[in-house]
Amino acid sequence: MRLHLIELTLFSTYAELRAERARSYLGLLWWVIEPAMNMGVYYLVFAVIFKAPEPNFLAFLLIGLTLWQWFKSCISHGSYSIWQQMPLIRQVKLPLQVFPNVQILADTVKFLCILALLLVVLWCSGYPPNITYFALLPVLLVELIFVAAASYIVAAIVPLVPDLRFIIEQVLQVLMFLSGIVFSLDGLPPGLRAWFELNPIVELVDAGRGILMRAQWPNWASLGRVALISLALYALGSFLITRLTPRYVKLPS
Amino acid sequence: MSAPIIEPIIDLQNVGVAFNAQLRVGSPRFWALEDVSLSLQRGDRLGVVGRNGSGKSTLLRTLAGIILPDRGRLTRASVSCQLLSLAVGFMPHLSGRDNAILSGLMLGLRRREIEQRLPAILDFSELGDFFEQPISSYSTGMQMRLGFSVAIQVEPDVLLIDEILSVGDAEFQQKSSDALRARIDNGQTVVFVSHGDAQVQQICNRAVWIEHGRSMMQGPVDSVLTAYHAAAPVAAGAVGV
Repeated sequence: MRLHLIELTLFSTYAELRAERARSYLGLLWWVIEPAMNMGVYYLVFAVIFKAPEPNFLAFLLIGLTLWQWFKSCISHGSYSIWQQMPLIRQVKLPLQVFPNVQILADTVKFLCILALLLVVLWCSGYPPNITYFALLPVLLVELIFVAAASYIVAAIVPLVPDLRFIIEQVLQVLMFLSGIVFSLDGLPPGLRAWFELNPIVELVDAGRGILMRAQWPNWASLGRVALISLALYALGSFLITRLTPRYVKLPS
Repeated sequence: MSAPIIEPIIDLQNVGVAFNAQLRVGSPRFWALEDVSLSLQRGDRLGVVGRNGSGKSTLLRTLAGIILPDRGRLTRASVSCQLLSLAVGFMPHLSGRDNAILSGLMLGLRRREIEQRLPAILDFSELGDFFEQPISSYSTGMQMRLGFSVAIQVEPDVLLIDEILSVGDAEFQQKSSDALRARIDNGQTVVFVSHGDAQVQQICNRAVWIEHGRSMMQGPVDSVLTAYHAAAPVAAGAVGV
């Protein structure tokens, strides 16, 4: 049974990516072009127009945006993942976690492409590989769990309250600015900054920047704390989906 | 050759299912199934008759385990129940082959099992070279042919069929109903929803009559059909839905 679900998830992910490629002329190139354009816009606004005080702003921004976009796309795609499959859910009995999983996996594949590109850009601009790269794996793993947790929770609720879709995008926008993606939180008063650091994304992005820019090992204690929170949220999300599944099929189509 | 009396594999007692009428806070619920009792034995070919909106499709999805009852009792032996569903999970930009694999996985087949059956699916669907083309280039009939060819590969313990399938042209309709008949004649347990008496009489050994979400009668096909037709269909128009 488990193996069957893994096969289903992997093949659906392949199908999803493949269909996406078929939907545009440039196909796979968009995986890279779209985020690159996005990064260009932020660079223009914050570096060129607002003249960000941050030294090494380009590296700072690119790392932040790369990690952020992974999170963001998993949430926005995840929020639709179950809701979009309602006709199918009325036909076959499946554990519905499969659907957000497919979106998360597809977005993670795209993220890894962008990450590879990011590393090349960093190496070419004076941030060579270093020993702390080993810590990237646990950091990314924790982010994956966090991303999956958030994605499960929105995926579970949106079918019951589809109106939430309109709010999620706005919340993500605000969250990006609160997470120190496009400007540094260092300028904040220490008291306020402590509050901001409760946000797991701040922790993860900081750890990523430390590794890639300053060859700095992550703060294991806070990474562990984020991991625990993420696991708890993941369990909650999964529970919500299982618990709400009988209600989805009874919603008006 | 009557089936021996054994434990039912699915048993419904006074089952009711309620739906939300609208996506609104505090919207009223309506009971699509009010009070249904029936039992299904292994090897049964149970026909479900009833007018439009009587709850037949809801009953099938309840038997499939997709919908859980809101009241009453449903017991099920450890058997797999599946709706015969066409084109489940199909994606327009994928080839016929990829869609066959995807749909088969959705319907519970293992990857290896589908790969083994791909030649049979290709053959049955009569798609030829189109099999490698995206299904967005297919006609509706071709998509349905592919859908049926995949769906017939799934072998659940209990097959649930909602209305008879009108798939493709007359020739393919004959072929698909022959395939289903072959399956049923092989001892497949079936629950079959239909408007047509002839099909129920041909296929089923037992029938249940559903009216306004209530099971009115269960038993031999002929007596259930007689009672069903004797009841004046007065309220049928009023039910709607």
